[in-house]
Amino acid sequence: MTENRMVFRGTQELEIESPLIIAPPKRLSPPPPTFVDDRPPVLLFEQVSKWYGPVIGVNQVTLELRSGITGLVGANGAGKSTLLRLATGQLKPQMGRVSVHGVDAWDWQAKRHVGYCPDVDVFYEEMSGRRFVLTMARLCGYDRREANRRTEEALEQVGMRDRADRKVRGYSKGMRQRIKLAQAILHDPDLIVLDEPLSGIDPVGRQEMLELFMKLASQNKCLLISSHELEELEKLTEHVAIMSRGRIAAVGTLQTIREMLNDHPTTIRIDLEQPRELGRLLIDSPDVVGLEMPSDRTLIVKAKNPKQFFRTFAQLVMEEDFAIERLEPLDDSTHAILGYLLGGSGKT
Amino acid sequence: MSTDPLKQRITMLRYRPWRGELRGPWSGVLAIARVSLGQMFRRKLFWGLFGFSALIFLFYFFGQYLGVFMQSQLTGETGTVRLGSGVGAVTVRPENMIQALTKTLKMNGSADTFANFIWFEGYILIIVLTLAGSVLVGNDFSHGSLPFYLSKPISRWHYMLGKCLAIGVFVNLMTTVPALLLFLQYGMVDEWSYYWDSFHLVVGILGYGLILTVSLSIILLAFATWLRKTVPMIMVWVSVFVLGRIVAKLIVDGLKFSPSWRLFDLWNDLYLMGASCLGIPLETMRPGPQPPFWQAWLVIGGLCAFCLLYLRRRIQAVEVVS
Repeated sequence: MTENRMVFRGTQELEIESPLIIAPPKRLSPPPPTFVDDRPPVLLFEQVSKWYGPVIGVNQVTLELRSGITGLVGANGAGKSTLLRLATGQLKPQMGRVSVHGVDAWDWQAKRHVGYCPDVDVFYEEMSGRRFVLTMARLCGYDRREANRRTEEALEQVGMRDRADRKVRGYSKGMRQRIKLAQAILHDPDLIVLDEPLSGIDPVGRQEMLELFMKLASQNKCLLISSHELEELEKLTEHVAIMSRGRIAAVGTLQTIREMLNDHPTTIRIDLEQPRELGRLLIDSPDVVGLEMPSDRTLIVKAKNPKQFFRTFAQLVMEEDFAIERLEPLDDSTHAILGYLLGGSGKT
Repeated sequence: MSTDPLKQRITMLRYRPWRGELRGPWSGVLAIARVSLGQMFRRKLFWGLFGFSALIFLFYFFGQYLGVFMQSQLTGETGTVRLGSGVGAVTVRPENMIQALTKTLKMNGSADTFANFIWFEGYILIIVLTLAGSVLVGNDFSHGSLPFYLSKPISRWHYMLGKCLAIGVFVNLMTTVPALLLFLQYGMVDEWSYYWDSFHLVVGILGYGLILTVSLSIILLAFATWLRKTVPMIMVWVSVFVLGRIVAKLIVDGLKFSPSWRLFDLWNDLYLMGASCLGIPLETMRPGPQPPFWQAWLVIGGLCAFCLLYLRRRIQAVEVVS
């Protein structure tokens, strides 16, 4: 069972523990949390800022991650990679503190708890995949025997055991991703930071990777995944941190973030036999700001304050005995929310 | 249990708790050095250059042997020896040969023997280090492999130490180790008492090797971090060591300026430092005149400190956001 709880302290405070209002379609995520994790956070950002000369990479970020999967999304140059590098101790913040299990992320001891899968594709081309992972295992401080055992296990987990003796030079992009992933998980870290882990992996491989991420999350690991593959990310997790211009624009479940956007009415598609009647009743609700009927059996409702709207809607359906055939929020996707938050289409 | 083979496989696999003692980051240093050595040893060019350096060693090895052998064979008689046959035959005077081997080439098991040997090895060593710099360090930057290292439980200093260790192996493989072998050989062909009478030379050779290891690895690491690619690395590295020597020679020997201008020649500075370890008097050193030993220590020490400061700043895998 996984538990994912994130706290964003800043101008707005949000603690996400609430159950879902509507279950999103085709979600692979684990069931909602049943207990509150009182342990110290795996990863903690405290008012962290990082500049590159005059350019600010991350700006006053405060973030707290415990076990579970968190997606990190944002446009190019938003500061995602900087955030990941700060989390893995490769960059030192100029202000604030980044800690892993209470130890400064910059300290080598903190890195024992961190696995990092960077987005670079080229590494030691003349080395075999197995040799590369083994070297990384030795870097972690294991003796030869244990390093060998962990190498084999990690290769098995990413499905590369039978192909690991080939030189990296001959690997496809997907195979390189798997090898990178193997070196990230081989020391069984509590925090696994993955930068574009699904890039270049074929659909079957993606499914395998998603299963693996889910399995790691179910082992109480904390996964921070930066990805432009929003659809895949949505299958994995409901918890996202959205970055914009070095700041965390929003953090929490997609639904909760969506609810916070009161200025942007949510769009809901309702299929039923009597859309006109339902529309007539809904128009009286103060939360409904627009109605549309694209076909005889479909009603599109634009509503602000979704939580209140769904309460009213549920009551109406019960009282008037409407047979709802389909109920689907149309702009609850990460794309749409990103579009609202960052402007444009939400493409990252 | 799930019927999906993938799920079965994943469910069956799990990390069992490991009760062993994790080694510290120093084991990571060894792992980095091991990988770096492997990267170099698999290159044919390296073996070719190593073969050249072995030729210098063999030249000294047989030169020392010949010198001692000829001395032991001469019994006060003077005359000439005809070597070879036919038109290729040459007539030599053994005294002249011994003179050339022991006095001119200094192949006599003295401090000068080892200092000169390491000086000559320097020509090959500089080329090997150029190659090593771009392969061992430059590639980490240009290929982006640095995050793999720095995300593991080592600090950037451990990373640098690992690379320095690998560079140190090459340096010692071409200088200190063959110099020690020459010391052993001379004791065997000359007299056993040579070992304890000249034991201070072993300390001097080790000191010279240590100086070369520390200074060259730090300077090379800084150059490779700065230049990254092989061609610019060769150009700048060779310029510093070759051009520096030409400029120093021109200023001191040609324009007759102060010997301190010879400090431009970095290899000469290292030679001076080594000579001070081996106990060679400054006046007997060639090319002369030479600057005082302390000036060479100061220049190399300052350069190493500057390189360390640069490395400290550079090895952070900084992403530049435009």
